[in-house]
Amino acid sequence: MSKHIKNIFLGSLILLMGACWELDQEVLDGVTQEQVNNSTDPNLIPVLKASAYSRIIGSWGANEGIWSLHEVSSDEVVVPTRGPDWQDGNAWVRLHRHTWEPSEPSINNTWNYCYTAIGEINNLMVQYPTFPELKAELSVLRALVYSWLIDVYGNVPISTEDDLGSNPTNNSRQEVFDFIEKSVKDNIDLLIKEDQKTVLNYYSAQAILAKLYINAEVYTGTPRWAEAEAAADEIISSGVYSLTSNYFANFATNNAGSSENILTLPYDENNATGFNLSMMTLHALNQQTYNLQEQPWNGYASLEEFYNTYDENDLRKDNFIVGPQFSSTGARLNDASFEPEDPDGAPLTFTPKIRELTPKALRQDGARIGKFEFARGSNSNLSNDYPLFRYADIMLVSAEAKFRQGNTAEATEIVNQIRARADVPPFANMTLEDLYNERGREMFAEATRRTDQIRFGKFNQAWWEKAPSQPFRNIFPIPQNQINANPNLTQNPGY
Amino acid sequence: MQNYLLKQKTFLLALALIFCATLVANAQSRTVTGTVMDPAFGEPVPGATVVVKGTTRGTATDLDGKFTIDLQAGDQILVISFVGYLPQEVEVGNQTDLTINLREDIQSLEEAVVIGYGTQDKKEITSAVVGVKPEDFNRGNIVNPAQLLQGKVAGLSITRPGGNPNSGFEVRLRGLSTFGANSSPLIVLDGVIGASLENVDPNDIESIDVLKDGSAAAIYGARGSSGVILVTTNKKNNREGTTNVSINTYGTINQATNLIPTLSVEDFIQRGGTDFGSRTDWRGEMLSDSFSSSTSASISGGFNNTNYLASVNYRDNQGVIKGVENKRLNARLNLRQGALDNRLRFNINLSVTNEDQERVNNDAFRYATIYNPTAPIFEDSEDSDRFGGYFQRSITDYFNPIALVNQQKFVSEIKSSLFSTLIEYDILDKLTLSAQFSQDTRNELNGNFWSKQDFAVGFGANGSAQRTTNDRLRQIFESTLRYEYDFTNNLNMALLGGIGFQSTKNQGFNARSRQYLFDTGWDNLGGGSIRVGNNTEMSSYANEDQLNSLFGRANFNYRNTFFFSASVRAETYSGFGANNQTGVFPAFSLGTDFKRLFDLGIVSQLKPRVSFGVTGNLPPSPTLAIGAYTNGNRIDLDGDPQTTNDVYVGIVQGSNPNRDLKWESKQELNFGIDYGLWNDKVTGSVDYYIRNISDLLFNVPVSPGTPNQFDPGRFNTVASTWVNLADLRAAGFEFALGVNSINLGRVNWTPNANFTIYDKTTIKSFSSGDLGFDELRYATPGSPGQNSNPIIYNRVGQTLGDTYGPILQGYTEDGDYILSTENPDEFEKVGNGLPKGEFGFANRFAYNSWDFSFFLRGVWGHTLYNSYRGFYENADGGSNAYNSVITDKTPTNPLVTAAPTYNSSYVEDASFVRLDNLELGHNFKTNSKNISSLRLYFAAQNLFTITGYTGIDPEARLTDANNDDGFTSALSPGIERMNTYFQVRSFTLGLSLNFK
Repeated sequence: MSKHIKNIFLGSLILLMGACWELDQEVLDGVTQEQVNNSTDPNLIPVLKASAYSRIIGSWGANEGIWSLHEVSSDEVVVPTRGPDWQDGNAWVRLHRHTWEPSEPSINNTWNYCYTAIGEINNLMVQYPTFPELKAELSVLRALVYSWLIDVYGNVPISTEDDLGSNPTNNSRQEVFDFIEKSVKDNIDLLIKEDQKTVLNYYSAQAILAKLYINAEVYTGTPRWAEAEAAADEIISSGVYSLTSNYFANFATNNAGSSENILTLPYDENNATGFNLSMMTLHALNQQTYNLQEQPWNGYASLEEFYNTYDENDLRKDNFIVGPQFSSTGARLNDASFEPEDPDGAPLTFTPKIRELTPKALRQDGARIGKFEFARGSNSNLSNDYPLFRYADIMLVSAEAKFRQGNTAEATEIVNQIRARADVPPFANMTLEDLYNERGREMFAEATRRTDQIRFGKFNQAWWEKAPSQPFRNIFPIPQNQINANPNLTQNPGY
Repeated sequence: MQNYLLKQKTFLLALALIFCATLVANAQSRTVTGTVMDPAFGEPVPGATVVVKGTTRGTATDLDGKFTIDLQAGDQILVISFVGYLPQEVEVGNQTDLTINLREDIQSLEEAVVIGYGTQDKKEITSAVVGVKPEDFNRGNIVNPAQLLQGKVAGLSITRPGGNPNSGFEVRLRGLSTFGANSSPLIVLDGVIGASLENVDPNDIESIDVLKDGSAAAIYGARGSSGVILVTTNKKNNREGTTNVSINTYGTINQATNLIPTLSVEDFIQRGGTDFGSRTDWRGEMLSDSFSSSTSASISGGFNNTNYLASVNYRDNQGVIKGVENKRLNARLNLRQGALDNRLRFNINLSVTNEDQERVNNDAFRYATIYNPTAPIFEDSEDSDRFGGYFQRSITDYFNPIALVNQQKFVSEIKSSLFSTLIEYDILDKLTLSAQFSQDTRNELNGNFWSKQDFAVGFGANGSAQRTTNDRLRQIFESTLRYEYDFTNNLNMALLGGIGFQSTKNQGFNARSRQYLFDTGWDNLGGGSIRVGNNTEMSSYANEDQLNSLFGRANFNYRNTFFFSASVRAETYSGFGANNQTGVFPAFSLGTDFKRLFDLGIVSQLKPRVSFGVTGNLPPSPTLAIGAYTNGNRIDLDGDPQTTNDVYVGIVQGSNPNRDLKWESKQELNFGIDYGLWNDKVTGSVDYYIRNISDLLFNVPVSPGTPNQFDPGRFNTVASTWVNLADLRAAGFEFALGVNSINLGRVNWTPNANFTIYDKTTIKSFSSGDLGFDELRYATPGSPGQNSNPIIYNRVGQTLGDTYGPILQGYTEDGDYILSTENPDEFEKVGNGLPKGEFGFANRFAYNSWDFSFFLRGVWGHTLYNSYRGFYENADGGSNAYNSVITDKTPTNPLVTAAPTYNSSYVEDASFVRLDNLELGHNFKTNSKNISSLRLYFAAQNLFTITGYTGIDPEARLTDANNDDGFTSALSPGIERMNTYFQVRSFTLGLSLNFK
């Protein structure tokens, strides 16, 4: 009998063993690697390429993104602690005072933003090794991302489509510099020359080089002024780009046709989001000024010292929103939560003066960032295309390179073109300090100030509510999260 | 010596002779009649056996429970017995007409314990399994069957902070065993795996059995890690040929309770608050006592080989806040039909549930607490016209709570059905083949609406409305073969083998538009002119998975003394990575009844047992291993908005694939003792368990742009990957004690107690391959201004979910904090949100036809971050706009004038004891021909709570309500958010009526 049982039991087990076969998991609401590999749709590759670009549109202009990191650590933008608002564990105070830690969210976000784009690009290059044009454009796109990484973190790991081994280690800033230079130079002639502002072309590649070389001394210890000048002048002499008569046309909601913008991030409040400046800088009541769909967050403002570097007549002083605020129908806005100490009382009035950095800046304190047009009725995202490279910037790079090589006359002439547009008198005897300040006024809120301050030796100096800082602060730490996820990374010196 | 023996023998002989003489003298015959009754039903018991003790002479009762028996001389005692009742001996004495009330044999009813794929005699159980019967269930306004068990089973924690009738209960067995979606125990309803408790009318439940340890749950393999709860619906104790109709109905009054005190209007103004000139008690305006009711009717019965139950239940729960309601209709039909001499049995269970939910924006609770008490509800101004007349001001995070409740609406209609058919066939006497097919469907239709006048969202969007659906279809086929065999009466063996196939499909769509001329809401989405961008949506999703299993179990019983059980389940899941498709989950357990080996005096049972089992947990989504492309930005290839035939939505690699992804694995070792004293008058059990959980499924930060080690040849394109990461260790001690009826004069007292001590979950490692973390931090206090620093630290070597913070060392004279540090890396441990222990103490008193019961529940050793205090108790700049809370713990000298800053003082001990439940009932005596029982009862829930906690509800928060990611929310326990629904106290009057 027991044998009988055993047979039944074993027999059924064997019968049932066949049940656990291999199961294929279908994907119903996404696209598998296999589908992509098998697709012959002629639009696929252009769309995939554009998708790689969309990675760098991403969070450039979002709160706690790369724009925040550049701006708040410089002397032109501050996020004061307004009572409980923006206290955020003093992250904004640390960023302002150059006492940031490797765990700051904006430092980690910036890394993730750059390297997710690099991962996407690398995967595309692994997948399509045989399209030379695609490979050229993607290589330069990757170099563009590395040009941000070298500036922000310095010693970052270089990851290319060939580095499929284990977790990478840091490369030196010199190696990253060489990699960017080589990537651009090897591929620049394969890029289009048409003025297409939303994809890389020959001139935006030159712009990458120009900005790389102008900072070469900071990045590598060796100045490369002549090459910076050459790259900038290649753009200038092409005649493809020109200064627009109206400075603000470059930052308008519909700025796609600007003759001055060389490469932009084509933001769209619906389809390509991630530029939230209106939310970040405006007061909640300004919802009624611009009929915004959401209440702004009342955070980012400019420093009074920086605001005061503009002449009274400087047309670019409209970079700031100051004074009494009104609704879209012209009614004076009244703040029901004004502090009793606020001299302006309830009527909403932005003053350049900020009472203190922390903890009790007044809610109405600070000149707001008004350089980019805030479209009426927009949502929390802006549709203004964000200029990564702008002709005026390239002109100033050219001027600076010339000046530093002793050619002050030509340099002054270029800078004066920019001053003329702003309706301020030309420099007669321009100093390097003048050039630095002009760059500041012209490039306000375009995420170049920190880099400029470092290059001009200003970044470690004291300014409002900030003591002198150590030179190691000229690059940010490798984010703690990245070191946790990849123990092969070593922290930057000083952190 | 010899003489002495002789004397003894003589003496005994004499004694015997005297005895015989007495018997003969008394010998005379007579007739006795009697009736055998079941006092519980108030009915006669037909077919009961009546035997003269010590003889084989006897008779049986007739249909009316009556019997007649002839007694001979010397017949003193009758023994009356019937299946399901305790045998009873009656001394006849001089009586001629006896009435015998049989008592139900609770022991024998409890004997069968439902385990996975069958039942087992309780005495044979060698793992930690607890059965709960209806008489032990919680009473009152029961919204969800989970409530029935709250506090009843050691180690089973059931919580629902606040009193929202629409929110579910968090159920955890033996603490946390996973981070993920499947952290609640697996529900097996009448054999259907993964069913939902919400689809059962509590009145229909016959028993709930909880498989606590890994060994018992291992038969459910990769779904068993969080424990298993087996629910069996009614097969009521119907006697042959009877029909039972029962009606249960009750009405409940609910009231909000334990509102956090706030400043009086005078104090508010005196502190510098803006005076808008009115006086409004916002919470008073928003809250009102609400009414709930439930009615259910069921018909059940049996004849020949047929058994049936049909029931309908309707319940309506209104919230204490207008606009919150939950209406539910459950209908059930259970049919059982035997054929071929009952060797072939068909079971069909069909249940349908319709649920309608109405919800409000729960932030209204916060705004009602802290909104300016001098603001009016309505205001007559041009401004307010745009807001429907409501008073509104543009201040960050500041909305009129009454407007919020009235101008945003959220509804869900959930229709679910569970159909299952089970066929069993006895091939041989002890060889049974069974096959079960079940289909579990859940269709959810949601509507969301933000009026044009709703200042928070709808005003900016110019009115917005949304429809979403979430549909699930699960089909399971399982077949088992069971065999039992007795080896020479000493060794009894039961074998089980089975296969299972399960497929689950989830799908849904989401549409939202905005900018409406009229507030037509979700009934006309086409009325919204804008259909792209913020506050709009157009999307759909779907996924489908497959799980195949093979399982077997063997149980051995040697002389009812030694018990051994072993099982194994192999599961192949489509959602596992290609490299790890099949998991194997073995288990064994053994136990010995010492009572059968030794004489233990008053000890009637002493069964030590030990068990070990491996269970698993499935990934939360089946496509994590694959890493499909997801939608990217909308791409216009030529950049010219005029041409639209070249516009596409890009594809981006939105997740990092993991080809090694596999099940979580939990190994659990359990030591237990089941004991009984004084003939099982006192019963209970003690359990100690240790569990090691490894390969936890977890979405961890990785370095994007670096090679994906889980998908060689490709790069990480996002900053996190799903991996099998952590190792956890947990242990606990559980103790249960019950006494069956203590006689206190005429009152019978039945106490039941259980308590649990958790040895909190410890993190052994956060590493997988090259990936490793020392700690993972989650959950910031939130907006405004406290967004940056997470406060829950999960550190390797420490307990899970520790709350960290700066220590408050005091205040400066002008009311600023003195904190130990500002650096999050120097924060110290200030609490832990997971309890150290829990207890439940149930008491039932019976006096004639009256009964009274109360149930105390306590939880201790957990902390809560009180976010009301953390944001709204200071006299800072913000408090001219907001009202402030004042609790027993609010510092008043000096007043804190600094902006609220997170620190140790806001993390409070939240231990509590609560009178969960109280009931007074009366069973009316009835002589009606039709009514078998009538019971009227009054019940109260949440009568009082003893706690030092000053927030809304000291109930432990096992997950963070504000963390949308269900997979990290378990790593941030211990935070009470301000959108917590207020506590509710309920009073219920109910009636139960049973017809013959």
